Amino acid sequence: MKKVLNISLGNRTFTLEEDAYARLSEYLKHFRTRLAGTDGVPNAQNAEVMEDLEARIAELFLQEVGTEGRVVRLDLVERVTRQLGMPDGTPEDADGANGSAGASTSTFTGTVPKRLYRDYDNRRIGGVCAGLAVYLDIDVVVMRVLMLVALLFGTVGFWIYVICWIALPNAVTPAQKCDMYGYPITAENLARFAKSQYK
Amino acid sequence: MENTLDNVRSQMRKGLLEYCILSILDKREAYASVIIEELKSVGMIVVEGTLYPLLIRQKNQGLLAYRWEESTQGPPRKYYVLTDKGREQLAQMDAAWNELVESIQTLKK
Repeated sequence: MKKVLNISLGNRTFTLEEDAYARLSEYLKHFRTRLAGTDGVPNAQNAEVMEDLEARIAELFLQEVGTEGRVVRLDLVERVTRQLGMPDGTPEDADGANGSAGASTSTFTGTVPKRLYRDYDNRRIGGVCAGLAVYLDIDVVVMRVLMLVALLFGTVGFWIYVICWIALPNAVTPAQKCDMYGYPITAENLARFAKSQYK
Repeated sequence: MENTLDNVRSQMRKGLLEYCILSILDKREAYASVIIEELKSVGMIVVEGTLYPLLIRQKNQGLLAYRWEESTQGPPRKYYVLTDKGREQLAQMDAAWNELVESIQTLKK
């Protein structure tokens, strides 16, 4: 199960899964940046180029999902962006991507309160310790040792673990992972988790 | 070695892309996807993104114009057409191209 977003692209409405949306915004941003960087095209011109590009993306999406309201998934976005490429014909992640990734790690971290989740990606058993460690900003190993010590002092630790396991939601979607780490839900941050999920 | 060869080839293609666009539009007006299909079928472009900035630039130079046409499926499409100025430019490019080919052939003799 994934959250979806409705967007308008080239005068059409499309329903995109969250990670697909994040990837698409990232791509468009890279394209725009690269466009500004090539042969000094004036800005008004760039807007027109973006318009044509978006119309083309809409056309390609339409070919795949048809008109009966099917959802655009991440793999389709990946395919389309590979087909379209960058304005100068070089790979997308040659330089522009690195630049923006660097910027996003410095500006978009830790500005919203974290939420407690189970971190299933880094789990040993149920991801409770991993989730707690992220929440409390301590090392997972320390958290696990603490939990083991608690287990040695009777069954309290055991019950805490079981209750946490039941009560805490699992961080599955990119949005939940952003929540867990306390990153604001921006396209870049979503894309970061979307990519790790995709590989 | 292979890299430089690839580079030279892509530079050659890039230089000729505007000429190709004008040539395609000289035969008939077309919207972006059709131009892309044709360029792809002859191996002139690898990724489509390179085309859009060129189209807009040529339009702003007055070589191309466009009009919106209703489409049976989906939103109206942008049809690009060659202007008189574009046709003139194409004729000059044709001449320049023939000259180039001749030069190379003469050199190789």
